[in-house]
Amino acid sequence: MSYRVQLEMFEGPLDLLLYLIQVNEIDIYDIPIAKITEEYLGCLARMQELDLEVAGEFLVIAATLIHIKSKLLLPAEESEGAEAPEEDPRKELVERLLEYRRFKEASMTLEHLESHQQLHFNRPGDSGSPVADGPLEVSLPELLRAFSAVMERATKAAVLEITPETINVGERMVAVLDRLATESPLPFIALFDGARTRSLLIATFLGLLELLRRGLVRARQSDPNGEITVYRTMEAAEGNDGRAA
Amino acid sequence: MDELPDPNPLAILEALLFVSEAPVTLERFAEVLEGCSKGEITELLADWQERCRQEDRGVLPIEIAGGYRLVTKPELAPWVLRFRGTKAAKLSKAALETLAIIAYKQPMTKPEIEAIRGVMTDGVLKTLVERDLIRILGRKPEVGRPILYGTSRVFLEYFGFKDLSELPTLKEIEALAPNVAEKEASQGEVEVDETSNAT
Repeated sequence: MSYRVQLEMFEGPLDLLLYLIQVNEIDIYDIPIAKITEEYLGCLARMQELDLEVAGEFLVIAATLIHIKSKLLLPAEESEGAEAPEEDPRKELVERLLEYRRFKEASMTLEHLESHQQLHFNRPGDSGSPVADGPLEVSLPELLRAFSAVMERATKAAVLEITPETINVGERMVAVLDRLATESPLPFIALFDGARTRSLLIATFLGLLELLRRGLVRARQSDPNGEITVYRTMEAAEGNDGRAA
Repeated sequence: MDELPDPNPLAILEALLFVSEAPVTLERFAEVLEGCSKGEITELLADWQERCRQEDRGVLPIEIAGGYRLVTKPELAPWVLRFRGTKAAKLSKAALETLAIIAYKQPMTKPEIEAIRGVMTDGVLKTLVERDLIRILGRKPEVGRPILYGTSRVFLEYFGFKDLSELPTLKEIEALAPNVAEKEASQGEVEVDETSNAT
């Protein structure tokens, strides 16, 4: 074959198969299995260094191809009486290929839309004066990331835990709210000042999540990976106003 | 407010769009601009958008992800990029494939996605969650309770969709794909089993 195939080019074994089908101008509904199996195995043989996980996936399809090929070589069974006509052993693979191809094409459409949309720019987040009211503007993953940073710091500061104290998320909620009542907005990290043990840190974080859920406080982040600020909302006393992002 | 004449509603819309970081919904506009109906606001925005398109303006309001936002015109991208000194990071092919599967078939679990792609998808899913393009919708009530993924609002913003109904249908995509379209277009809706007698 004149073309060189590099496995990294392909998103997986189905992608490689589709490529071989296209290059050889094969009708996907009538794949010459012997030929395509040979080419496919040739491709696998030609690539030497690749990570094992990918190789495994490529080998599964190789096995499928060989299995189909062997089935096609066998004469049609007539032992059980010829009721239904034998199903084409290629059918399942073809269906998988068609399904995969549909999404591969959809992904190319998305790629096109991506580059189109990337020509539009909007204003980056405002790092200036924070606004105390507004929808929740921090995603849960962001909060978790910030919290894991707090936890990391905590493990570094060696602490001896002696007295088993009973920690209560509800108390922590009250503590956070009290703190915000006097100084709002407050940096996320500042909420954990004075919380020395891991369990206390976790309880504080859980308390914060609950407060966010109830809409009593709000968290906001001006830019990705930036500092998260926590505010007490105006309606803190009444509770939820039902409008959460 | 009682003394001074109210400013032009369009000026207010422009100000709101300027200060907002996420797309602003019509409902939100209507809340802030008391006295303007959603219909009137839609009309104002459409008018304004049209004028921005024609005039020598740098920004225009667009409808996206269930709301409106102010963006720069596409033809100005080279200057914006030069100014920012950055290049937009593109999603990998694996990420786009995974996103496409989730977008069309959501909610989807990891094994379901992997069955279609034929490869492991752990790393890609993690990246997509981190970039907020997909979100966890819950767990599927079956063995192992696998996590169900769906697309997020950021997904809509990222690709410029107003809502999910704007996704091109898979049929439309097939019609657009050049290398495959001819062959199957002639076969119309013929399903795979039709070919079994060709063996």
